[in-house]
Amino acid sequence: MTSTIEIRDVGKWFGSVVALSGVTFDIGPGVTALLGPNGAGKSTLFRIMCGQANPSQGTVRILGQDPRGNAALTARIGIAPQQEALFEWQTAHEFVMLAARLQRVPDPSRAAVDALAVVELDAGDPRPLSTYSKGMRQRVKLAQALVHGPEILVLDEPLEGLDPRQRLGAIKMFRALGEQGRTVVVSSHVLDEVERFGSRILVIAQGRLVAEGDFHAIRDLMDDRPRLLRVGTDRPADLAAGLLLAGVVQGARVHSATVEVETSDAPGFRRAVAGVARSTGARLTEVVPLDEDLESVFAYLVRGR
Amino acid sequence: MSALYSTILRSLATRGRLLALGALAALAILLAVVVRTGSGFDRADSAFHVIDDYGLSVLVPIVSLVFASAALGDPAEDRTLVYLWLRPVPRVELALAAAGAALTITVPIAVLPVVIAAAVSGVGGRLVLGAAGGAALAAVAYTAVFCGLGLRVRRALAWGLAYLVIWEQAVARIAKGAARLSISVSTRTIAARLAHHDPLPRNAMSMPVAVLVPLAATGIALALTTRSLLRGEVA
Repeated sequence: MTSTIEIRDVGKWFGSVVALSGVTFDIGPGVTALLGPNGAGKSTLFRIMCGQANPSQGTVRILGQDPRGNAALTARIGIAPQQEALFEWQTAHEFVMLAARLQRVPDPSRAAVDALAVVELDAGDPRPLSTYSKGMRQRVKLAQALVHGPEILVLDEPLEGLDPRQRLGAIKMFRALGEQGRTVVVSSHVLDEVERFGSRILVIAQGRLVAEGDFHAIRDLMDDRPRLLRVGTDRPADLAAGLLLAGVVQGARVHSATVEVETSDAPGFRRAVAGVARSTGARLTEVVPLDEDLESVFAYLVRGR
Repeated sequence: MSALYSTILRSLATRGRLLALGALAALAILLAVVVRTGSGFDRADSAFHVIDDYGLSVLVPIVSLVFASAALGDPAEDRTLVYLWLRPVPRVELALAAAGAALTITVPIAVLPVVIAAAVSGVGGRLVLGAAGGAALAAVAYTAVFCGLGLRVRRALAWGLAYLVIWEQAVARIAKGAARLSISVSTRTIAARLAHHDPLPRNAMSMPVAVLVPLAATGIALALTTRSLLRGEVA
């Protein structure tokens, strides 16, 4: 695989706030997902990749070139930024045609019609963009990114605001673009969304690259982490002791009617908890995972580094 | 160039701005009508003051500030600048398109009303010439400066107003050295000299210097705006 995007030890800080630190990776043709919670540094990384922002340290090569102040390179990049604002008085066709013109596409009007067709929008729609819904705006942004047939597509949270059917269509489109040999980088903060890209995933959290691999590798990593569970019972102290004795939890905090436990073997814990409860004479009222949200998964991955 | 220019122009020409600043412009002509029809004062002197103290010192700078600071400032603020900037377009073209679009509105809304006011006051062609020369150069220079300001700072309107009030209208009127770096003093000098008005504005300079100052300000401001666009960190 030849790399079209090379990121080397890239850091970015604003005053004392560190947005990115020591990020290194290579991306080649095909779809790559950049997964991370909001505020992780994904947009900053994208801005640096497109030459919109300059890294405080490290080097970036896009198609072998430094994107910094490199207007010529922007002809080979298409970006769909995260912000929603467009030129609100324009129609979708005018907006995409403007992009085509500035990209020096031979027949801007035709190219705009084609790009809008790819995202299933009507180029003849006379309504201004100010009337467009979030999903429609997303697709207009995609169209302007595609209109000049760029080798690299940088799409910041492009699935947000799309309904499930549109989401499926968009994902299919990303894969098709990737199969054409283009480099498609898509950011998301939803793991299940990224699963369907069938792509390599880079996980970024708190400004650092914390994991990379395919979907299964990332999922395993997330399943392997220690879990926090709440167990409701009438005899919390006895149950806690029993669980510790059985060796299925590493820690327990006893409350009046619950025990909070930490386990590194969630399946083992689930198998053992009923038996331990029976043998200690405790009645179980609930077993609830406390940290299933993606934020805590990312937090774990950050700590693990 | 034309796609950038027309997009920025259309973004700038909002109804609210045009109405509010059109009213400011109408005030210049109204004052001129008062000068023409009133009596009991030196008409030539009063007519010059309408052009000098209102047209060149208030109307042209304020209208320039509002439109020029928004030309790149608005798209930088809502981040739509990325759709103009992240393109294989020479940066100087973007700077010129923005300044050109702002000027396209400032000329009919500020420069022209000042010229019309000079004509309406009915004190002769020299004042019209002075008003046209001073207002045109002031509009060009302020537009170039405020274009760059809008790109670089948030709340450019407030900073621009502070600059106008503190530097152009206070420091440059008092301190002779500062006057040589003043768009206001230089363009008011041009108006007064072309109009053969006596006395000249305080701290007035020779005609060549008075023409050079706004032209130099324009060139430097456009160069700095282009440099900012080249360096990134804008959109």
